[in-house]
Amino acid sequence: MLEVANLEAGYGKIQILNGLSLSANENKLTLLIGPNGAGKSTLLKTIFGFVKPSKGSIRFQGEEISSIPSHQLTSLGIGFLLQRVSVFPDLTIEENLKLGAWSFKRDSARVAQRIEYMYDKFPILKEKRKESAGLMSGGQKRMLEIARTLMPGPKLILVDEPSAGLSPKIAKEVYRVLHELKDEGITLVMVDQNIRESIAYSDYVYVLERGRVSSESAADEIGKNLKQVVESWLKF
Amino acid sequence: MDGLSPMLAQLVNGLIIGSIYGLMALGLTIIFGVLKIVNFSHGEFYMLGAYASYFISQTLGLHPVLGIVVAIGATFIIGMLIEKALLPPLFENKVERKEEYALLVTFGLSLFLINLALAVFGPFQKSAPALTKGNIDLGVISLSSGKVLAAVIAIVVLLITLFVIQKTWLGTALRAISQDRDASAIMGINAKRLGSIAFGLGACMAGAAGALLGPVFLVYPIMGTVPAIKSFVIIVLGSMGSIKGAIYGALLVGIVESLGVIFLSPAYRDVYSFLILILVLLFKPKGLFGGAQWNN
Repeated sequence: MLEVANLEAGYGKIQILNGLSLSANENKLTLLIGPNGAGKSTLLKTIFGFVKPSKGSIRFQGEEISSIPSHQLTSLGIGFLLQRVSVFPDLTIEENLKLGAWSFKRDSARVAQRIEYMYDKFPILKEKRKESAGLMSGGQKRMLEIARTLMPGPKLILVDEPSAGLSPKIAKEVYRVLHELKDEGITLVMVDQNIRESIAYSDYVYVLERGRVSSESAADEIGKNLKQVVESWLKF
Repeated sequence: MDGLSPMLAQLVNGLIIGSIYGLMALGLTIIFGVLKIVNFSHGEFYMLGAYASYFISQTLGLHPVLGIVVAIGATFIIGMLIEKALLPPLFENKVERKEEYALLVTFGLSLFLINLALAVFGPFQKSAPALTKGNIDLGVISLSSGKVLAAVIAIVVLLITLFVIQKTWLGTALRAISQDRDASAIMGINAKRLGSIAFGLGACMAGAAGALLGPVFLVYPIMGTVPAIKSFVIIVLGSMGSIKGAIYGALLVGIVESLGVIFLSPAYRDVYSFLILILVLLFKPKGLFGGAQWNN
């Protein structure tokens, strides 16, 4: 589904990704963990074109996407859930959802149908649809972001720290919703600091250190020696 | 009642001028909202609009209203082309100090356009033909029908712009870009392309204002300086980035200026707007619509 090979990228002169390679399989949740500064978020931003790679390749369904501008990735079937709050605060919830349909805006029947589908899936959004998105609670904003990302029916969603800033109860709900997306055939690549929780929902785990993959394994295996992995980060 | 009618006449005058200032200030707000830059060449688009309509109505002898339509179209296209030529480095992470870059580029553009106009049109003040002739007599006051038509056109253009911003896909996307550029890219919105459109839209609103006020004042290369400064005053007064603020601020400035002329002195006409600005900022440092966002 997604193959990253020998990727190098960074900000200005500071290189963050040092020849990173990994792949994410279809309909699986691939989790990326690692200490701060390992390049997890930078990797997602580079895949989505916000950071331009200086070397290496990014292939999505066999197609090289590293030189495609970000705004064209949506119609290829890639979605991105940012770590920070990214709802448009002064647009209504309905307008936020509508913009999720930007890539097929000329098909107004489909736009309306997708919005209704999201309202069925997330009733709270329907209830508040005329309100400004900025007035919602943190958890509701996250649900709106997820619904908005789902509007065009993506095949792959990049997820950056889905539970950041949320209470444990709401975080659990977010993980549940994300996990359910796999049932719809969606592939997820997720970065998370909330390791214990997120491993439970993942299929495969990559450990990143200093811009490279330092180890990888199936989620149920890494779960067993998680303590060792995390302790090893504290050594350098 | 004799004392009242000049005041009423000036009040209506103020509303007329205010609605045209509103056009210009809203244009500045759109550019600021979407591109996050202050367009220091805004007054020169006002000037270009005035020359475009002067060319149509005086040189070619066609109807002045056609001149306004041409002015709007011409400044829209020029604005879009200029944005495409000069501003992309801002959004490609090629410049370190974006604000300074935008300031220098738009300020340089302003000087360039003024001197270009000097070279092409000459330094002389020209008077454009009125939109229509005659007066409208309302009993208590009598208004020049040219001015009234100018205000009507200004209000129609304002309403169309507000409709586009609030109700269309384009407008929703522009508001989205103004609030979160990265998130709008994730939606699939091409912020670069829409940025050019936003600049063209803002520029053509200044062009429309110039074309409407050309017949009221005179047409010359530096005619845009004072209206541009007033637009800056208006958008700061109404809170930077607030659409509501731009419109109400413009009406306030128009009215205060016109009333100041009869109550204080016509000589200080251009000073009154600064007085209100100082007063408003003293008591409401964030402006009249402080904290209000782009779509309010």
